Amino acid sequence: MWNEAIHSLVFYFLAGLSILTAIAVVGSQRILRAALALAGVLICNAGFYVLLDFEFLAGVQVLVYVGGIVILVVFAIMLTSSVELVENHPSSHRKWIGALAASFFFLVTSSAFLSSDFPVDRNALRSIADVKLLGRKLLDYGAEGYVLPFEIISLLLLSVMIGGIIVARKAPQSEKKK
Amino acid sequence: MDMLDFFPSSILQAADTSWQTVTIAQRASSAFRDHDLSGTIGYLLLGLLFTAGLLTVLGLVLIYAERKLAGHFQCRLGPMRVGWHGILQSAADGLKLLLKEDIVPENADKLLHLGAPVLSLMATVLTLAILPLSPTLQVVDLNIGVIYVTAVTSLGVLAILIAGWSSNNKWSLLGAMRAGAQIISYELSATLSLLVMVLLSGSLQLSEIIQSQSDGWWIWKSHLVGVIAFVTFLISTTAELNRTPFDLPEGESELTGGFHTEYSGLRFAFFFLAEFVNMFVASALIVTLFFGGWMPFYIGGWDGFNSIMGLIPPGIWFAGKSAFFIFLLMWFRWTFPRLRIDQLMSLEWKILLPVGFINIFLAALIVLFEWHF
Repeated sequence: MWNEAIHSLVFYFLAGLSILTAIAVVGSQRILRAALALAGVLICNAGFYVLLDFEFLAGVQVLVYVGGIVILVVFAIMLTSSVELVENHPSSHRKWIGALAASFFFLVTSSAFLSSDFPVDRNALRSIADVKLLGRKLLDYGAEGYVLPFEIISLLLLSVMIGGIIVARKAPQSEKKK
Repeated sequence: MDMLDFFPSSILQAADTSWQTVTIAQRASSAFRDHDLSGTIGYLLLGLLFTAGLLTVLGLVLIYAERKLAGHFQCRLGPMRVGWHGILQSAADGLKLLLKEDIVPENADKLLHLGAPVLSLMATVLTLAILPLSPTLQVVDLNIGVIYVTAVTSLGVLAILIAGWSSNNKWSLLGAMRAGAQIISYELSATLSLLVMVLLSGSLQLSEIIQSQSDGWWIWKSHLVGVIAFVTFLISTTAELNRTPFDLPEGESELTGGFHTEYSGLRFAFFFLAEFVNMFVASALIVTLFFGGWMPFYIGGWDGFNSIMGLIPPGIWFAGKSAFFIFLLMWFRWTFPRLRIDQLMSLEWKILLPVGFINIFLAALIVLFEWHF
């Protein structure tokens, strides 16, 4: 009984915290604070994974999203804008398009939420949570393996990296003169 | 390929002893299962107190050691006045920092400026909790230990970036950008070295990595692969700690103080403490991964020697080994000149990273064909 109580207490704490930080992401006037609130949301998600016994996924979530993506976002903000930057008043045209896009997104997510049921299968979760099994599944080229998506993702990342280098590279001196 | 093949394979292997590990978290959960509420709360409090105590003691001892060593490296005596040979100097300094006025710059983002030091210290404390200091002295033994360490240290980078940004000062901002770029770059090769050790020991759990060294430390067992991983890990953690030769983010002559230029009093103390305790965390990780953690030093066949070594408790072994690596890091500071920023980046991206990739490939081959001892 105690176990259940603590479990749900932690769950509601994390849920409340992630909703609050998610509101802060879109509501904050200062863009760096919004980025940090995003880090908060992602850490709360990692907390949910821990509650579901997915420690590995939680670790990867913090490593990739907070340690990688949020820091990249913070870097981008620091390189582009000044401390004083407060979101300027958008035009009414932009406001309308934003409202439309947001309501469509809300419709899609809520219809997906309502139309699917969420079966709880704890044993299935346990078996995936094992890191060794996860690794074997990722490199398994049988019918139930994920080697093809894994390799496609790595190819995609490679091409993105090469693209990034080409975009960021300085033009050689001889080309500039032309 | 490897020099260690010249040794007969038994010489550096220890007597096979298995160690029973019990963490504080395990004790708490077993007390919880027995419906022993006071025991559960007691063990949880013990875990908290242990982490807080470790943080304080490490802060006091390491700052004193750094000042004393710096003094002796420069043919000075270092602090001598407060207590016997200046032994109370850190306590006096801590008191001074507590009483100092805490100044927040006029146009700073106040909330973030106040929050950044706390986040920085938090990232450090979170790693302290999973270090296996001895078979019975570990707060939590996560089964994703290595991933947890890399994930939590990335929070420290975030703290530095926030500190530099929210100070509203160009030196702070430049220092923070340098620190961020440096730590993110060197994190790559540090993680690659960690992965080599994960490959060799076949586990992400720190206590299991130590257990896998019961028949010899990985630095002896893994041929050249372990040595290369150790050297790259040592270089990249020194860079991640922002210590000389890689202390560009706080180079006094260029940036006044780097990201903590605008910090004073207690909040500066937080950054300072986090930096010194991170040094211990780095040394403890090196010891855990490469030098057998709490395992004593055994030489195969020398039974008398081994039994004497076995008398020394594992906690002392761990403390001694990590003290050696902390000394090494402090020694670096007075030995190597500071790198230039372009040298720093080319060292990582053109030397350490390719070496790390080749090394992890070799490690995979060695593990696949079971070439290691």
